[in-house]
Amino acid sequence: MDWHQLWIIASAPDNVPIVAMLFLVPIFTWMGVRQARANDRLIVELEADPKVAKTHHRKVEPWRPGWAKELHVWPYLVRIEFLVTLIVTIVLFVWSITLNAPLEEPSNPNLTMNPSKAPWYFLGLQEMLVYFDPWIAGVVMPSIIMIGLMVFPYVDSSPFGNGYYTIKQRRFSLAMFGWGFLMWILLIVIGTFIRGPGWIWFWPGQTWDHNAVVFDKNVDLHDFIATSWIGKSLHLGFLQTGVGKFIFGGMVVTGFYVLGGLFFHWLMTRGGLDRFDRSLPLMRRLKLWLTTRDEFERKLLSRTSLLQYLTFQFFAVSVLLALPVKLVLRLALTIKYVWVTPWFNI
Amino acid sequence: MADSPVADSLIKREPEVPAHDPIVSRSTSGIMLICALLLTFSLAWSLYDEAVGQRPWKGIQQQFVARYTRYLDSIRPRSTEGETQVKESPEYKKLEEDAKDAREKVQPEIAEIDAEVKKIQAKLDAVTEPFQNQRGRLTVIYYNVETGGRSKEKYRKQAEEKRKEVVDVEMPADDGPGKTTVVKMNYDALEKTYNDLREQKAAKLGRKAELLKEPSDLDKKRDDYLKNHLTLLTPSQIDSVKRSLKSFDYSILGHQISVTDYNIADRCEVCHLGVRSPLNITAADMAPGGPGKTPDGMARAFVSHPNKEIMDVHKPDRFGCSSCHWGNGRATTGEEKAHGLNKFWLWPMFEKENTEAGCQQCHAKDRVTQGAETLNLGRDLFSQRGCVGCHRYEGFDRETDALTNTRQLITQLEDQITANEKGRLQDSAAATDAADDAEAARYRSHAESLLLTNSLLAARIDQMTLQTKYLMQDQKKVGPNLKDVRLKLVKEWIPLWLKDPQNFRPGTKMPTFWRFEKDENGADEIKAISAYLWQSSFDGKTPDQQKGDVNAGKELFETKGCLACHSIGEGDSKMGGEFAANLSKVGEKANFEYIVRWIHNPRERWAPYCPKHKRDLTADDYKQAGKLFLFDTELHSKCPIDGAELQVQNMTVMPNFRLSETEARDIATYLFSLAPRPGYESASFMDDPNLKEPGRKLIKQFGCAGCHEIQGFEEEQRIGKELTVEGATPIERLDFALSTQDAEQGRDPLFKKMYPDRKETEWYNHKGFFEHKLAEPKIYDEGKEKDPKDRLRMPKPFLKDEWRNALTTFLLGSVGTEGANVPKSLFYDPQDQRRQDIQNGWWLIKKYNCVGCHQVQVGQRSILMDLPQYTTPEGKDLLPPRLTSEGARVDPNWLLRFLHDPSLSGGQTPAAAPAEQNNTAAANGQSANKYQLQPGADRNGVRPYLKVRMPTFNFSPNELQTLVRFFMALTGQEDPYIKEQLDPLTEQDKLVARQMFTSGTPCLKCHITGEPAHDAKAIAPNFLLASERLKPEWTFRWLLDPSQISPGTAMPSGLFKRDGERWVVNLPQPPKEVNDYHGDHARLLVRYMFLMSPDEQRRLLSASPAPAAATAAPPPAAQNAHAGNWRGGREVRWFKPEELGKNPSQGKVAVPRSRRTNARAPN
Repeated sequence: MDWHQLWIIASAPDNVPIVAMLFLVPIFTWMGVRQARANDRLIVELEADPKVAKTHHRKVEPWRPGWAKELHVWPYLVRIEFLVTLIVTIVLFVWSITLNAPLEEPSNPNLTMNPSKAPWYFLGLQEMLVYFDPWIAGVVMPSIIMIGLMVFPYVDSSPFGNGYYTIKQRRFSLAMFGWGFLMWILLIVIGTFIRGPGWIWFWPGQTWDHNAVVFDKNVDLHDFIATSWIGKSLHLGFLQTGVGKFIFGGMVVTGFYVLGGLFFHWLMTRGGLDRFDRSLPLMRRLKLWLTTRDEFERKLLSRTSLLQYLTFQFFAVSVLLALPVKLVLRLALTIKYVWVTPWFNI
Repeated sequence: MADSPVADSLIKREPEVPAHDPIVSRSTSGIMLICALLLTFSLAWSLYDEAVGQRPWKGIQQQFVARYTRYLDSIRPRSTEGETQVKESPEYKKLEEDAKDAREKVQPEIAEIDAEVKKIQAKLDAVTEPFQNQRGRLTVIYYNVETGGRSKEKYRKQAEEKRKEVVDVEMPADDGPGKTTVVKMNYDALEKTYNDLREQKAAKLGRKAELLKEPSDLDKKRDDYLKNHLTLLTPSQIDSVKRSLKSFDYSILGHQISVTDYNIADRCEVCHLGVRSPLNITAADMAPGGPGKTPDGMARAFVSHPNKEIMDVHKPDRFGCSSCHWGNGRATTGEEKAHGLNKFWLWPMFEKENTEAGCQQCHAKDRVTQGAETLNLGRDLFSQRGCVGCHRYEGFDRETDALTNTRQLITQLEDQITANEKGRLQDSAAATDAADDAEAARYRSHAESLLLTNSLLAARIDQMTLQTKYLMQDQKKVGPNLKDVRLKLVKEWIPLWLKDPQNFRPGTKMPTFWRFEKDENGADEIKAISAYLWQSSFDGKTPDQQKGDVNAGKELFETKGCLACHSIGEGDSKMGGEFAANLSKVGEKANFEYIVRWIHNPRERWAPYCPKHKRDLTADDYKQAGKLFLFDTELHSKCPIDGAELQVQNMTVMPNFRLSETEARDIATYLFSLAPRPGYESASFMDDPNLKEPGRKLIKQFGCAGCHEIQGFEEEQRIGKELTVEGATPIERLDFALSTQDAEQGRDPLFKKMYPDRKETEWYNHKGFFEHKLAEPKIYDEGKEKDPKDRLRMPKPFLKDEWRNALTTFLLGSVGTEGANVPKSLFYDPQDQRRQDIQNGWWLIKKYNCVGCHQVQVGQRSILMDLPQYTTPEGKDLLPPRLTSEGARVDPNWLLRFLHDPSLSGGQTPAAAPAEQNNTAAANGQSANKYQLQPGADRNGVRPYLKVRMPTFNFSPNELQTLVRFFMALTGQEDPYIKEQLDPLTEQDKLVARQMFTSGTPCLKCHITGEPAHDAKAIAPNFLLASERLKPEWTFRWLLDPSQISPGTAMPSGLFKRDGERWVVNLPQPPKEVNDYHGDHARLLVRYMFLMSPDEQRRLLSASPAPAAATAAPPPAAQNAHAGNWRGGREVRWFKPEELGKNPSQGKVAVPRSRRTNARAPN
């Protein structure tokens, strides 16, 4: 275990934000979840009262009996925000006094630094270059992600969750956003802590050796299949021809979209495990969860228009599913591209 | 109102806030207060950091001011004391008196002038304003006239009126202060008055300055006297420094050196405040406890620059600091950053021991850089220890590079001739087919011009071919010629040597090939290499030799100058230079006969090498061409087959000492007596033909041919990395291999083992890389799994710590243009011929180790100077001459001839010397002479009285020229040299001169005359040489004060004394004729010397009182050119200068080819 190496990475002034994020993200997630769960319990209580049950609405009652249902922004919110401003200013002051800007040597066009790393907030993008064509990873994917984030409010048909934290009422949307966010952070963490000289995979605590060598032979999916035992026995050599691989890749990608769409469609109406009787054995509840739809989620789905539905499906399959699938294909099966065309590679 | 629902809704209602809602009810004041306090604190912190934390230099400056003031206070009493002493001296008092008198003399007139100027000034003040007002108004009106268009005339009239307008001026009256009279003036009057007054004032002030000139000059003279006679500053200077400290500028900009042209902004002096102090401040002066106490780090930072001379040449105002020292000149926030030691700074400050690397940055073209001794040593080692054999470095190994270029150029020119020839044929054909006469004529003229071009090209090829000859003559290898191994070496010794050269001969240039000792097949590799060398060597037999006289050999070895390059003895008893091999154990490894031959003439090659046929020629080749097997650098340097220039010498820098065969034999006998040959294990494998091919591959892989001549490898390229800009290699490209982690984290197993006392430090930097690589080249190979042919090849050189540091310094500074932190325009690139000549010369001086015997430069010590036998007063007289003023002393044309042939024998071989038959060996009935006597054998041309021999280096004309130009440039001599014409001597002059020559200190007591009996005790050159050898002006200065030119010389000083404008002999009672001579005695003597003839000299000799033998009449043999001269029991041939070939007065620089002979065919 090379603690020295870990310390070098963690103490680099460039990496202060990402190290801080390692702690801040869990803390704030935990705080949000705690509040959401409390709200959820309240919602359950309210639902037990037939008078307000119909609304499913958290806001019809104050958070605690005797508390205000709503408060004015001024002064109650603003003063808290002001307090936060003060704290952040103090942190920035101390930070800028104690840590200097991490400048390096003047650029030398004849010598690229190794590893050459983007600023921490772009490291996720850079890490994506490992899994996709530069065109896809650098242009298409970021655009889709950004447009997807812009589109999210409009594909959300649920009226719930405005002004309060809840898991119960926004299970699917939370899961989807959380998954995407986690993936992004994960890519940044990989880029910061795992990728060493030569962009080689170093486990935390492994020394970043500039002379380290790895054998990494990545193949395209069609070659992988055609040259595999199955491909040979089924005489799939034609997959390696220009047309063969184009059609094959296209079919795989289309299939992926169809299967991915079905998967999300199925996932949308699953709801939580807690909708089943807690006294049932876990396996039984799991089986029920897999096979039965949640009424609440179904109702939400039925409120969704076709345009909203398809838009969501497109972004979900293209980013939320494609990225992890490709990551696994690449890291576990050394697959380079799935669909190779003269114009782009996926 | 409250009842109305409308009004009710308008009433601002307090929200129904329950008291225990924490968001509402809990006060945030406390936390708000804490945050506000924290914010205030962090704001204060940031201000403190800005003012103090980021400006640590402020505290340092305060410390400097305090400590420097204290130091000044401490030296002030001494300074006052010194000043009082000087002021009380009569000289000072006189100067003071003079100054005072002069001032008093002019005082009345000055007072008068001052009064008048005051009056004039008052008037001028009165008239200035009205005049300027009127002039301003007029200017406006004239502008209107110029641009007025139709109103021109109107304005013109206006101007006219303005000029006539009369204004009142209140002029001070002459008769008393305060009174004024009103004067009315128009513009012209104003202008005239104004100008007149100004002129008057200027005239008065000019007169005042004139009057004050003398007193001011005298004041300055007085002050200068005081300054020059005080070792410290004067008290008033000290006070002024102290005053300046009172108003010290605590800032960065006040201490920043800014050179806009080179983008330098150095703030080093913000902290290093004493660097340019007028006093020489030491660390102890600035100690925290007061001057003289133990200094701390800060005290050491305040010291003056240790090398004021360098600072004078490289003025900080022009070069800054970081240009030489590196570091980050702009940083001021801490030592680490300012010294550029932080990561990512590309120019970290050089460590103290490597400071001179900064010199190399700009002085990369120099061979010797004044004042950079470490760097110069590094360069010496790089070329002399054979680094250059594997590693190219621009400028080093110039001959080989030039030879390659010349050969390429010849090929190109030949191609061009062929192309032109073809073009000519085409043109001729085209001319025949031409449509009209004009076109045909054009083609024909073009064809003709091509023909002419070809003849010009052919002439150039001739020149280039001659150059290849010269370059081959000058091309040397660091190691011995391995084509001779069979002739030279004991067969069984070779593998032992290859295994561990340092074991056999500690300190040898031959590096240790560590792969042999470690690798599993190392023993096999040694066998293969030995086998190749043995089987590819010349086979033959050097003539048999009998043993000579050990004692005579020892004497010769220690006195002829061998020790200037070679050392002898081991350990503490080691003596001599390190330029060449230690000879203590030659007897264990070499064949006696070969060594005799080598000592006799080391340049004598066994067989010539033809670069065109790429092989060594044999006697058969010559026979087939119908020629004698004869080769030398003169008439027989061409290939008998096709006339290509041959390599006819051994490529060694060892010169020819023109020893007789007997002497060579004696020396060899002596060397062999030091180490008897031990019994060796049989090495029969060396005859195994199967080992030859693997051996060849290994020799190629290890690059043996970089330093040695090896059959089959004559055209081999260097195998190492070029190092010209090695210091600029990015650290990432320096392969620390498996040591990377250790280097980065400050673990240093290698140096810990070598220096247990030293602290381990981080060494992931250039210095660390070079030092470790030089100390143990295998360090970057260890632990690596590689194919043998990919393994590192650099062998381990023998390097003392000092040497390793010098080489590291040299490499650190080798950064080229890209890696330098100054622009190329700042590099030292002398355009004037003189400086170029000096640098060109240094390459040769170092190449042939002239500095082993001679002091070439002031302050440099030769190896011989430090040998015990030359440290005694008598020994010092026997040292080779100092060459510091050689260029001023000798005639360049003579120097050229001398360097070509130091025996000045004109290439003549002494007639069969009777001494050869008389020597002991011959007396014992053994055949003595296998080798021909060499031209100029066994004699020094200028100083026959020295035992040390100036050897024949067989320089090519190129090198002769370079050396002569070097010596001339070193002393700033005019080029070309035109000999000064001297007035002929009258009989009276001769009479006087003879008197001077023989009275007082008779010149001929010490100077050689050519009379054997007389010369036995002589210790100075012959006067007959003077006219062609010396320069009259130098000789004149020499006569006046020889000890100033050559301290410690036997030539007495004070022979002349000053008498008004002339120099007269310094005798209590000079002879009458001398007394009556009214010219300059010293100049007369110079003329006499330069016009000396043999007859005149004999005449002097007969009149000379010393030495006893000299009174005898010269033997008849002395008339003869081949007069015998008995010295030290050995006969030496002695020729008269007039017989030395050409008439010197013709002043031709080129040496006739027929006289550049020395190599002889061996058999």
